[in-house]
This record gives sequence, C-alpha cells and structure tokens, in this order.
Amino acid sequence: MNILIKGLVKEYEKVALSIDELFIEGGKIVALLGLNGSGKTTLLECIANFKGYDKGIIYYDGEEDFERVRNKISIMQQRPYIFNMPVKENIILGLRYQRLDTKIIEERLKKYNSYYNLNFLDKNAKKLSGGEAAKVALLRAVILERPLLLLDEPTANMDIEGTLMTEKLLKDINKEFGTTILIVTHDIFQAERIADIVIFMDKGKIIEMNTNEEFFNNPKNPLVKKILKRGEVND
Amino acid sequence: MEILEIILTSLYVSLTSTAIASIIAILLAVPFSIKDFKLKRAIYRIADSLMAMPPVVMGLIVFIILSKRGPLGELNLLFTPTAMIIAQMLLILPIIFVLTVRQIEKIAPTIQKNCYMLGGDYGDFLFLIINECKGEIFTSVTSGFSRAISEVGAVMMVGGNIKGYTRVMTTFIALETSKGNFKDALIIGLILLAISFLINIILHSLKGRETNEYIN
Ligand SMILES: Nc1ncnc2c1ncn2[C@@H]1O[C@H](COP(=O)(O)OP(=O)(O)OP(=O)(O)O)[C@@H](O)[C@H]1O
Ligand SMILES: [Mg+2]
Repeated sequence: MNILIKGLVKEYEKVALSIDELFIEGGKIVALLGLNGSGKTTLLECIANFKGYDKGIIYYDGEEDFERVRNKISIMQQRPYIFNMPVKENIILGLRYQRLDTKIIEERLKKYNSYYNLNFLDKNAKKLSGGEAAKVALLRAVILERPLLLLDEPTANMDIEGTLMTEKLLKDINKEFGTTILIVTHDIFQAERIADIVIFMDKGKIIEMNTNEEFFNNPKNPLVKKILKRGEVND
Repeated sequence: MEILEIILTSLYVSLTSTAIASIIAILLAVPFSIKDFKLKRAIYRIADSLMAMPPVVMGLIVFIILSKRGPLGELNLLFTPTAMIIAQMLLILPIIFVLTVRQIEKIAPTIQKNCYMLGGDYGDFLFLIINECKGEIFTSVTSGFSRAISEVGAVMMVGGNIKGYTRVMTTFIALETSKGNFKDALIIGLILLAISFLINIILHSLKGRETNEYIN
C-alpha cells in the first residue's frame, strides 16, 4: 500500500510532528530512525488513526477516508495493549472477528508461530514478560496479513534470537504478500539489515530519507552523519 | 416465617434494582468514556453529585411520580416492591455509573482502538472492555448493591413497610426498634452486617488479581 502524507501537523504542548510531504512506496520495508521524542510513534499512530492530528491529509493508495482502508492496516504499538485472555486468543483475535474457519485460523497460527515457537499459548497473556508480550503483539498484527504493517520498536524487548526471527518474518511476508512495512527502531544495524528505505526524524521533522545504501554510505544531514559514526541511534 | 420473608424481599428488591441499574450504568459508561462531547463534564458533575443523594429525597421524588395524581399514578405502583425497585435503582444508578466511568475511562480508548484495528465492532468492544475490567466493574456494582440493601429512607416511603409485602430488613429494623423490640431488630441487623461482610470478602478476593500492565 502506498502512503502519501501532506502537511501533517500534530501538536501537544509543542509541535510533536510536522511533515510537509512524505511518500512511502508500496511493497517496501521502511525503517524509521530518530532520537527519543522525535515523533516516530506520533507519525505511526497518526497513520494508523490511533491519534487524531491537527492539520494535513494522509492518502492510503490515494484514499483519504480512513474508514475505507481500516481493514488494510495493522499496527503494533510501542507499548502494546495485551488482552486479558490466553496468548492464543490474543494472537487470533483479529481472525475471530473475520469469522474465519477454525481450520484456517489454526493453520495461520501454526504458520506464524513457527518463527517463535511460543510454547505458552494457553497461558494468560497478562502474565508475560516484556519480550514475550512483544512477540504476541507482533503475531497479532502480522497474522492478519494486511497490506500495511506499522511496527513501533517491535524488537526493543526481544532477545537476539527473537529479534533475528522477527526480521526474517518481516522479510518473508514482505516477499510473499508485498506487505508495506514501516518499522520504528533504535538499532541502526537492524535498519541496515532489513530496510529498503531509511528515514531519520528529528524534532518532528524528517531530516533524511534515502535508500538503504545511500543512507548508510552517503548521509547528508550533519546529525545523521554524526550518529552513524557513533554507531548507535540513541540518546 | 416472617424473618425469612423479610430477608428474601430485601434481596429480591436490592438485587433486582442493582441488576437493572448496573446494565443501564455500564451501557452508558462505556460510550461516555470513549466519546468527547459538549456537556460531558457537566453530566459527570451532576452524576457525581447525585451519588450523595439522600435516600429519603429519592423516595420523595419517586413517591410524587407514582402517587395517584403523579405522572405515573395510573400504574398503581406505589407501595409495591416494584416501586421500591424503581427508587433504589434510581438511587444507585449514578453511583454505579460514576464509579464505572472512573475505573474504565483511562483504558477504554486504548481497548477500543485495538479492538477496531483488529476488525471488531462495537459489540466486540463492549465484550472486551467488560472482560478487561471485570474486577473494576464488579467493585462498582457491589458498591451500588451495598447502598441499595442498606438504605431505609427510599423503601420506607415508596414501599410503606407493609408486612408480608414490602417489608424489608432496614424498614423492619426501624419499626421494631421504635417498638422497643431490640432482639428481632438486632438479629436482622446482624444478618445485614453478614451480607456486607460477604460482599467485602468477595471484593478482597478480587483485589489480588493482575492489573493492566501494558497500558498506553
Ligand atoms: N499524549 C501526549 N501528550 C503530550 N505530549 C506527548 C504525548 N505523546 C507524545 N508527546 C510528545 O510528543 C513528542 C514525540 O513523541 P513520540 O512518542 O512520537 O516520540 P518517539 O520518536 O516515538 O520517541 P521514542 O523513541 O522515545 O519512542 C515528544 O516530545 C513527546 O513528549
Ligand atoms: Mg516511540
């Protein structure tokens, strides 16, 4: 799914997000980098209509009425809300809402759980560790197989194995369905490993956006240059 | 046996009023928590003040409405258990509503967004929020029930304390005490106390449960 953003402004006490124009081509994996408080979550949640915004338009494949594309977008929030029910029910909740056949649901669950092999599917999901909860929230979003997938630091709490399997999962669905994936991360190496396009945000604005190769080999913005030299995108 | 009848009438009236008030309060509290509209704060303030409404005043209002010349006089409901249910229901409706709103308003928008994102509809959302906030909602409901079963003013006025018909525990206590029959009054008083204890025990057993950790 293509995303075109024009004149997007979101204010709290101060301006949290101000994007003149942003075009994300369908079928790409896009990494969103930036310091804490630079507006990454705000951007993602505006796109997912989790947050209202003050000005601007977002076009989803040319469509500006969010209600018409609602069922084409899924999001995993930075602090995902996990429902008070077994892990399995959390993961397949969206499929249940589609009233899919139990057999199809089981097959999908099997397919996507093969990446993590979660062995606590019957456990109450409120009792999970941070990384476990992140895997559940990620599967819950991915299992819907929607054209646009928005992920807010999905691997921030995961172990190395979980992180790498997540990256593989994302690449796989991107290949299989042409899923457009917008992923927020503080790990520049992760961005380098999976992204086609890399965006860097600062103070609510996009200060650099380029293809993976260009972004890492030939950064233009001074802040981005400095950060890439240090090797970590963090405060 | 008179005492058993009184206890049963009490439970019937208060459980029914609590059930009706709970359903209405929850169905109102959920949309109230997720929507922003003009008079929201004003409505909340009013409901909040109504929580402290003296039962006799509620009794008086319902009495006027149900009395022969009142707007609903033709229904002949005055001095019936139904009148008592109506009075108690109106008395505790704001209590359950306000307490439920307080408990769910922070989390309701998050649950709603996630539910809709996953493709759920309003019914799915309603189910989720009740499922997520069972304990909190139960606390509100029991607060309403405690108030209903222990109040005396409203049921006395609209029920009339008719023996074998509208006499409940609280009006029995009031009557027997005024007659100097402390023994029976005390027995019923203890039963009332036991019911309160029971509610407390149930509440505390629920308090130990997990809280919502991954709140945005
Ligand atoms: N609900 C809110 N009320 C007020 N200010 C907010 C709110 N949410 C975000 N902000 C502010 O908006 C700015 C952008 O926040 P945002 O969460 O988008 O940052 P971020 O890039 O995701 O940061 P992080 O890397 O820490 O997740 C921050 O300055 C933040 O303090
Ligand atoms: Mg963030």
